[in-house]
Amino acid sequence: MDKRFFNLFNLTEDQAIALLDTPQAQISENDSRYIAASHLVNFPTERSIQALIRAVQQTDAMLENRIVRRKSVETLGRLQAKQALSVISWCLSDEDCYTVENAVWAIGEIGTQDPLILEMITRLLDKPGQIYRVIIHTLAKLNYQPALERIRRFTNHSDPPTASAAITAVCRLTHDTTQMVQVVAMLQHPNVLARRLSIQDLIDAQYDDAIPDIARCPVSLVFRLRGIRLLAEAGFANGVLTFTKIQAYLEQTLRDHPQDLRLVHSYDRLPELPALIRQLYETDFGRCYLATKTILEHYADAAPAALFAAYAEEASCDYGAHFHVVKLFGWLRHLPAYDLLLEALHNRQPQFQKSRAAAAIALGELGDSRAIPELQSCLDSNIWDLQYAALMALEKLGDRSDYANLMAADNWFVREKVQAKLAVIN
Amino acid sequence: MKSVVTTVIASADAAGRFPSTSDLEAVQGSIQRAAARLEAAEKLAGNLDNVAREAYDACIKKYPYLNNAGEANSTDTFKAKCMRDIKHYMRLVQYCLVVGGTGPLDEWGIAGQREVYRALGLPTAPYVEALSFARNRGCAPRDMSAQALTEYNALLDYAINSLS
Repeated sequence: MDKRFFNLFNLTEDQAIALLDTPQAQISENDSRYIAASHLVNFPTERSIQALIRAVQQTDAMLENRIVRRKSVETLGRLQAKQALSVISWCLSDEDCYTVENAVWAIGEIGTQDPLILEMITRLLDKPGQIYRVIIHTLAKLNYQPALERIRRFTNHSDPPTASAAITAVCRLTHDTTQMVQVVAMLQHPNVLARRLSIQDLIDAQYDDAIPDIARCPVSLVFRLRGIRLLAEAGFANGVLTFTKIQAYLEQTLRDHPQDLRLVHSYDRLPELPALIRQLYETDFGRCYLATKTILEHYADAAPAALFAAYAEEASCDYGAHFHVVKLFGWLRHLPAYDLLLEALHNRQPQFQKSRAAAAIALGELGDSRAIPELQSCLDSNIWDLQYAALMALEKLGDRSDYANLMAADNWFVREKVQAKLAVIN
Repeated sequence: MKSVVTTVIASADAAGRFPSTSDLEAVQGSIQRAAARLEAAEKLAGNLDNVAREAYDACIKKYPYLNNAGEANSTDTFKAKCMRDIKHYMRLVQYCLVVGGTGPLDEWGIAGQREVYRALGLPTAPYVEALSFARNRGCAPRDMSAQALTEYNALLDYAINSLS
């Protein structure tokens, strides 16, 4: 679990509990119980858990309180608070479908084999207006076999991500993977959320045959890398995968060139360059990759000036566009962008984290050996994709160091990469 | 794209019947509110950057404990994340005003997004707070007519409710 953002609000435990216990009507304009409920995830103590339980028991239906209840349920799930199981189970009959969703998810996190609770969750499959994906996920996670036939009814559901979750759950409960190709096909769905969620389902099913398809799926590389990493770790632990089998797909994903993706969108006519630059701000990265590919194919000469302008105006603080601008300067091999890429490489603000590995790859493309010591300094980072991307870039720049000290790296991929390098050198 | 009209027709078609009187009343109600919705959509489209910027600036000002320097506690984290996402949600709110239903938010902003936020451990609090500010800040007739503001606020409430 990535916990970069957990400590966003810098409240003490006492402050957060006091806020959460304040009646909604008495909350000052300067405070928020919702933030307090989110923030208590940092304090796995009995006091915090009891405060969150009290918040769940506040049933006032007004919006401000409803969202606090839901968040409290979620936080209790994250804290895996077994003592909260009964109060969370009580939320399963709530009228608010998002409270129910969070309750089901939290029970999955806490874990239970109580047949009464599991049956209550299963019965939600018959209740209209629920978020069925999380219900199906949780039943499969808790291996509740009596739900199998009721889950199977959802394999043809009209909502593709719901059908995808059901196919995956049937696969997990029966160990029959024959239908998983349908989930793989969802990696090419026009809706970006359907594409992202099918990666989650492939992870849940430990369906490592899909790794090459995940590597080509047009979503942010964060989702692809997460999918490949979790599938590879599980496959390696089970003895069915080796690093050699997945290395090419991993490196293709870290390199992240749009020509290696199977894009799902297309333009009916060539857009002007400013329109393509605007596309780099899209939240659907599939559209950003299409814009990047089009810029490279049609506007390579005019692009650098437009990218510098976009960066100065807005992209330097939009973490999505920032990433794509960095990538583009690399693919364009635009040497005047060296300083900008160096700044991105060393940018420690957490929302720009994925731009750091992107900058490493881009500096490798630039081919300027001044970048070698800069990239070497990133090898000590605790961000594995940055370490790995820096190794790829150093390789590209012709650096022949062996990096034997990285044999002790935390990340398995980084260790394997170094081992492979050492094998070649020796 | 789901709207009152498409929902009514889809349910009637599924049952092999004509739309009922109450179905037609729902459509009529939606059409009657269309002028207010389009007014709100126009005002929001013309002022999207300012609305988003003001929402997160005010939110940071409102919560002094957000101003502490440092990596994960930094205001930069909050600002950049919030600004990008709030603009995305405001755009979806604007589409909903045009469509006359919650389809764009449901399909592009909510379905599955909650799952993604949970799986990646991403914070929902910053934009819930910023959207709440945007909802409380709107003023009639300064920003738009009272009817238009009602339509706009209802969709902001819907987004806040669904994201939290």
